[in-house]
Amino acid sequence: MLNKIFNHRVKALFMRHLYPLRRDFDLLSDMIYWPLIDTLTWGITGSWLTEESGSPTLVTAILMGLILWNIIWRSQSEVGRNLMDEIWNSNLSNLFSTPLKISEWLTAVLGLSVIKTLITLGIMVPAILILYAVNAFTLGWWLVPFFFLCSMTGWWVGLLGSGIVLRYGPKVQTIIWTLPGILLPFSAIYFPVDRLPFLVQKISMLVPTTYVLESMRAAVGGAPINPTYLYISFGLNVLYLTLAGWFFIRSFAYSKNLGLDRFL
Amino acid sequence: MKAPVLQADQLTKVYPPSRKGEAEFTAVDHISFVLKPGEILGLLGPNGAGKSTTIQMLIGNLTPTLGNIKYFGKDFRQNRTEVLNHITFASTYIKMPWRLTVMENLWVYALLYGLNRKTFVKRAQHFLGYFGVWEHKDKALNQLSASQITRVMLAKAFIPHPKIVLLDEPTASLDPEMAHEVRQFVTKQQREYGTSILYTSHNMDEVASVCDRVIFLKSGKIVAEDTPEKLAQSVSLTRMRLIVKDGLKRTARFAKEQGFASKIDGREIVINIEESLIAGFLACLADAKIEYTQISIDKPTLEDYFINQAKEGGNAK
Repeated sequence: MLNKIFNHRVKALFMRHLYPLRRDFDLLSDMIYWPLIDTLTWGITGSWLTEESGSPTLVTAILMGLILWNIIWRSQSEVGRNLMDEIWNSNLSNLFSTPLKISEWLTAVLGLSVIKTLITLGIMVPAILILYAVNAFTLGWWLVPFFFLCSMTGWWVGLLGSGIVLRYGPKVQTIIWTLPGILLPFSAIYFPVDRLPFLVQKISMLVPTTYVLESMRAAVGGAPINPTYLYISFGLNVLYLTLAGWFFIRSFAYSKNLGLDRFL
Repeated sequence: MKAPVLQADQLTKVYPPSRKGEAEFTAVDHISFVLKPGEILGLLGPNGAGKSTTIQMLIGNLTPTLGNIKYFGKDFRQNRTEVLNHITFASTYIKMPWRLTVMENLWVYALLYGLNRKTFVKRAQHFLGYFGVWEHKDKALNQLSASQITRVMLAKAFIPHPKIVLLDEPTASLDPEMAHEVRQFVTKQQREYGTSILYTSHNMDEVASVCDRVIFLKSGKIVAEDTPEKLAQSVSLTRMRLIVKDGLKRTARFAKEQGFASKIDGREIVINIEESLIAGFLACLADAKIEYTQISIDKPTLEDYFINQAKEGGNAK
């Protein structure tokens, strides 16, 4: 089964995107440099706010929020960036003149997003532990559904952005980097959702990551996690992922109707 | 007769208007043709004739508006992955990831066609060696010249040992010597492995020397289909060059009166004339006491056919 999903064509795409990691500073800075800078900045800010507020878990909540945000960011970025990389390299037409299926391309980019997210976390989590004595693993097995739900959110945001690029062309490529930003305020990454204005709170209830972030803050504060929150998050993610996947496939078909060579 | 490896039937591409108020654009208009096993078929035509659109439809990167494509007797739309395992494509205008080395790029493409590492390395060494880029195998693509990249693209197309190769202007960025090597290579692949090749080029001599058969496209339609020799022969006009001792202007006037187009270039006059009428024309010049010191007659070539067809109302048969 796994052999069928991760077949030689998916492996080819893994190689195509993992080879440049060995020598490309652009990619490394995205995966390592910026997460480390964020860790330093938010760690210092969190420590300062902890001292000022007297709330001992504040720095932990902020840094855990940062970790979860990086999972969302990396997951969406991998989907969108991989598409843009093929366009920038005039390789899209080349790639889809081979037996490669669009489902295999999607499998590969989702798999790559997991690998690259784990690399980023492999740098961030120890850095947070060493610099601020915050241990991400204190959340225990809850980290697994948190990781999975945040990744799912990243995927549908990435698919939505990529679908827009496939439909309207590279002139709208900024959407790949700006679209996830909209999740930042609505997901209440660094603050409780009740701090949002009433109307915004209503919108944030439609964002799957809100439930993950609220659950994380509850766990950090020593309160029990409400599994219903995670079920709602999962349900919303499945719905949005299905819709975004459908939109992406439709946009790809639309693009093939105009010709993939328009991306040369 | 063996069944064709590729059969395009009533292939049509109509692009929707890009802006409101604009009309639809028919890039390819109900074309039908076949590619036979082991054949090199040339796709010729002026810019905008529909060559690239046709190729894009044939590799599945552009959805036809109408028509059907069959490879090895199987419907392309329904058996895309299966048939593409046996078809490769190379174009001067399409690149590969520039951050990857030559070998990394080729390995990625070899994997897409299901090759194992051992077979890949053996074939990569053979093809890169043939094209003189083996010593650059560990360089990133952005460190190579345009000509070297084209050669790597050709290696990419032949490494999987495909049954059909679609080559879109494969020699466009190559120097004459390397272009000659590529032509020899292509015909060798056809001869030794029975590879069927669809070939587009703007170099008419190249098409004439490489292709078994040529399809000439114009405004999205097939206007002729034959061997390069027969297409060239269908151009009835021969170019006759005369270096005239005295009476250059009279010769031009005389040619005009007879209905032949001519052009004066220094002491030389070039007259487009049907081969069968040359003797009569020269006799008339003698009667008019016009002396020429040199005469040369150029037989029509595929290029003449191309130019003739590209012009509105060309007089090809």
